[in-house]
Amino acid sequence: FPGLADVSIPQDIPVEGEITVPVGSHSPDEDYSTLDEPVKDTIMRDLKAVGKKFVHVMYPRKSSALLRDWDLWGPLVLCVSLALMLQGGSADSKDDGGPQFAEVFVLIWFGAVVITLNSKLLGGTISFFQSLCVLGYCVMPLTVAMLVCRLVLLASTGTVSFIIRLIVVGAMFGWSTLASTAFLADSQPPNRKALVVYPIFLFYFVISWMILTFTPQ
Amino acid sequence: PAAGPGAGAGMKQVGAAGAAGGGRLARAVRADGLPPQALVDDTEDVSLDFGSEEELALRKARIRHPLATFFHLFFRVSAIVTYLFCDWFSNSFVACFVTILLLLSFDFWSVKNVTGRLLVGLRWWNQIDEDGKSHWVFEAKRVPTVSASTEAEARIFWLGLIICPVIWTMFLFSTLFSLKLKWLALVIAGISLQTANLYGYIHCKLGGQKNINRVTSRLFGTADVPMRQNRRISQDGTEEHGKTGTR
Repeated sequence: FPGLADVSIPQDIPVEGEITVPVGSHSPDEDYSTLDEPVKDTIMRDLKAVGKKFVHVMYPRKSSALLRDWDLWGPLVLCVSLALMLQGGSADSKDDGGPQFAEVFVLIWFGAVVITLNSKLLGGTISFFQSLCVLGYCVMPLTVAMLVCRLVLLASTGTVSFIIRLIVVGAMFGWSTLASTAFLADSQPPNRKALVVYPIFLFYFVISWMILTFTPQ
Repeated sequence: PAAGPGAGAGMKQVGAAGAAGGGRLARAVRADGLPPQALVDDTEDVSLDFGSEEELALRKARIRHPLATFFHLFFRVSAIVTYLFCDWFSNSFVACFVTILLLLSFDFWSVKNVTGRLLVGLRWWNQIDEDGKSHWVFEAKRVPTVSASTEAEARIFWLGLIICPVIWTMFLFSTLFSLKLKWLALVIAGISLQTANLYGYIHCKLGGQKNINRVTSRLFGTADVPMRQNRRISQDGTEEHGKTGTR
């Protein structure tokens, strides 16, 4: 500033300024509120966020909460519980009625990653972890279906139980697919929605198939 | 409140700004004739009377957050120990897998959200704004407070952060070469979670240091201007230590 070279500032006028930092630029008040908050606040905040998302899956409305504050705790818990129920809880033996635990785990996570990559390659605007979050949380109806199936199988294993299980799994499969497409399909251009919905359909179909064909020892 | 060490810390940042901006300037004497050195000896723990006894004890302690330090190491080390000795604990692959996975997840969450900001004052997260674009935000604490971290804590933090991913990488190779492929998913999950934390914190630390020379903290914006100007001139660039370990 060449024009200011000969400006003299009187000594008793305070001159203050602020240079904002490009990385992590918050006001100092916000810094203190997230950097110095007590641990219990952090835990409660995250738990509440997870709980809110579960509620959003149960009543899939067009809300941005599931998308904005993504977290992967829900998908982790759901995936582990689904894999545990599918595994049958027995020791690692080759004669299980259900698939191995690690296979279910890898299938769910790898499948979710592939669907996310697919939707990103098709030009979707949603971010990687948001998509994983949505797909993971929408496994919840299928986990409920698995629970119901196991209870039904405790009672009987005949044709009636199969029909009940078929209806329950079918309904939950439809619910999962609708819930996840409600969140994910919007981020795509209109002529590509089917291209994005189809892998999701396939993903939940495979999981439903595993649930339906599960027979305990 | 804390005018002494607080002003000293502000002086360090301001002085570094002056030195970085204008090159090395000779030490000038203040307007009232005191040598500038008298203002600079704030890097030691000066015992000031306006703090309570608890604050003084806190300031002198080597580890100010014992619980955070314990938990920082607890989850990581128990995940590694469980992985190594899982055959002793239980016959079931599933139980070991789930236990180690839960330990790794708790470790990831606690290091990312709690021990990072308590032990070294750094934090990183992902934020999604209105347009749906995602930003990764890296935050570093600029002003040390009474309960800021010590060198011992910072050393424990960084050692724990760096050594564990290395150990999990060794597990990856041992799994691949001994063909125990059912553990592969777990080892890969372990490596990715711990490396994510490592990368995030290194990014925080490097980002903070690059910008520290250009930051004027708002807390000291209302300080007396003539003294600030003189301090800026008298401060040498090399005096800006990272001794508090918060950087």
